[in-house]
Amino acid sequence: MTKTYRLSETVDFAIVGSGAAGGVIARELAQAGFAVVVFEQGPRHTLADFQHDELKNWFSSGLINDVVKNPQTFRDDHSKRGERNLVRPNLYYARTVGGSSTHYTANYWRLHECDFDECSRLGPIAGTGFTDWPINYAELEPYYTKVEWEVGVSGLAGASPFDPPRSKPYPMPPLPPKSSGVLLERGARKLGLHPFPAPLAINSQPYRGRPACIHCGFCHGHGCEVGAKASTLTTMIPEAEATGRCEVRSESYVVQVATDKNGRATGVRYFDGEQRERFQKARAVVVSANGAETPRLLLMSANSLFPQGLANSSGLVGKYLMWNFTTRTHATFEHELNEFKSVQCSRIVHDFYDSDPKRGFYGGGGIDSRIGPQPIIWADRIADDEHLWGSAYKQRLAEFPRSMQAAGHGTSLPLETNSVELDPELKDAWGMPAMRVTYKDHPDDLALMRFMQARCAEIMDAAGAIKVSNSPIKPQTGSVHMLGTCRMGNDPAKSVVDRYHRSHDIPNLFVCDGSSMVTSGRGQPTLTIQALAFRAAEHIANFARRNEI
Amino acid sequence: MNTISNDGFSRRTFLRVAGGALGGAWLTLDLAKVAQAAHHAHEARETAGAPDTSFLSKAELADVDAIAAQIIPTDDTPGAREAGVALFIDRALATFFGRMAPDFRSQLAAFRLRCQAQHPDVGSFAALSNEQQIEFLKQVDRTPFFERVRLLTLVGMFAMPKYGGNRDGIGWNLMGFQDQHIFTPPFGYYDRDYPGFKIEVVSKS
Repeated sequence: MTKTYRLSETVDFAIVGSGAAGGVIARELAQAGFAVVVFEQGPRHTLADFQHDELKNWFSSGLINDVVKNPQTFRDDHSKRGERNLVRPNLYYARTVGGSSTHYTANYWRLHECDFDECSRLGPIAGTGFTDWPINYAELEPYYTKVEWEVGVSGLAGASPFDPPRSKPYPMPPLPPKSSGVLLERGARKLGLHPFPAPLAINSQPYRGRPACIHCGFCHGHGCEVGAKASTLTTMIPEAEATGRCEVRSESYVVQVATDKNGRATGVRYFDGEQRERFQKARAVVVSANGAETPRLLLMSANSLFPQGLANSSGLVGKYLMWNFTTRTHATFEHELNEFKSVQCSRIVHDFYDSDPKRGFYGGGGIDSRIGPQPIIWADRIADDEHLWGSAYKQRLAEFPRSMQAAGHGTSLPLETNSVELDPELKDAWGMPAMRVTYKDHPDDLALMRFMQARCAEIMDAAGAIKVSNSPIKPQTGSVHMLGTCRMGNDPAKSVVDRYHRSHDIPNLFVCDGSSMVTSGRGQPTLTIQALAFRAAEHIANFARRNEI
Repeated sequence: MNTISNDGFSRRTFLRVAGGALGGAWLTLDLAKVAQAAHHAHEARETAGAPDTSFLSKAELADVDAIAAQIIPTDDTPGAREAGVALFIDRALATFFGRMAPDFRSQLAAFRLRCQAQHPDVGSFAALSNEQQIEFLKQVDRTPFFERVRLLTLVGMFAMPKYGGNRDGIGWNLMGFQDQHIFTPPFGYYDRDYPGFKIEVVSKS
């Protein structure tokens, strides 16, 4: 029996969000002996619920936020009115116990040293919020290792000459290479590059009570039906519950973190599954609702003492929204690759990771091989000017088994104008303000996208592709990586949380998820989010033990 | 060729085998035995009954069907028409894609008016000749309406057949996609004789 707390009780921690970060913090605090309630907007699924259902998982609210119930508006400029997208949300995430660790691709890249202090290395960039992190790689390294071993990551230590130092190898060998990985490796090596096995939070062999991958091909956008892909739903959450001190309250949508007259958090107001308003008292609150929902919740929690929203004396809650782009290069080969089988990525290239002033713009990135991902999405993505519909398009569709994508990912500069706010008009199904997203790529990000895509195309040519085409580089209008909106820093005027994820303004309010990131990394942020979560939980537990909360 | 990836493996069988996956049995599961068991399992096809609700009029449905049939035409292999895409779109707009229905209706009306204005003697897009249809679509294939029909056609062509499209797996067959739960390496031609990853020693500058 898992623990159930009464509303009349005051728990030690209310944690908002059960995803990559919330799940880790819940387990760590519960194992440290604290009474914890985790609030999750979405339902709790079992593995049997996870089907190969693209319609449900990509185009309906099977896993992700519902464009009708949880609407958003999007605009690329503050002078415009936000527009609503009725097909798919601009920012989308899995709204379920496990959060987006349920439907992610599970690429687990560490940040490199440069990601933490690149501003010092390269100098500031005018018109941006580009700055160093308050922590460095060495400080986070033990927690990267902890994630890799506690969550379970398959990979090959030492395979990349660009990898930062690590204190331990991966706990599992890499997954078997796919044809796309072999071809990426072949092409990259021909060009003198250094491809290596993709580190993935997917079991290549049974690990910690979970089975090895069965290569069904439905990682990206879907839940893993056997639990081989590490979601906090199958890793951290059950371990947190096993302590007897953690309750996970699903279908519980937190709409306000409440504070008292002394400016301390007192608990969370939420709607339960029957839309009944509830209040849970807590000694401290941890917000890990993701880089979009976290700032929205802090802004919705505005009260007379904090009229700008909680933890927002800097005015930076919701600002500096960063994504990680994906460029797509489609390649067709003579023989079958059958990329619909197995995990998305098996080989990656980090030769272009560091920013190089010689390129004439800021930024760096990584390349991976994939199909991207299943039939409907692939069919949509390969449609281009020459094959938009008709016989030519139909022939293109039949090339699916012989096709792959080389995808470029990379940096996004932090701009104060890129933000998550409350929409002034639109409300969600609970009557709460909808999220308004404003985003416009920095010119350097677009230049980097073109650069990365050109490298992808060269690699596919070198690999012997008989046909290579690029999806046009366009301004981005959406993402699944929502970063930087409650950035960490030492200066309360220039950041939202301190180096321990404690908000500068409210001593018993902590924020830890993608919103904490100061720079975007080069793609694949989940491992970093979880390393930050392990580190934050350790400090939060110590503060609590020392009565410093 | 390995036998596992070529054997059908139904979801029902899969769930039976995978049930209690975290209990431990799955950890030591012999994949060859699973595949053998699955080989004899009958695929319980999930098919949708006739749609009990519809959104489009008969004439509108005929036009949508004609557009979808131009997007993925029927030639020596079946296309969107045989996959039941138009009925899928009709049913989807009446039910789970209802959020798209108001825009769809007004955009479809504009599409039909424009077509009738150009071909007053024919009356509808569906009644045009193949060449006339292609000619007309080339004029409108960058409009939000065409973009929406194109996307819905792809969903109707490639989504799980239980939603009423992708009839008899026509979409998946066209694409060479196999919906299975277990595959084993090698997955394709190029990873068949892969010699294994070699770490290259490079000096960091």
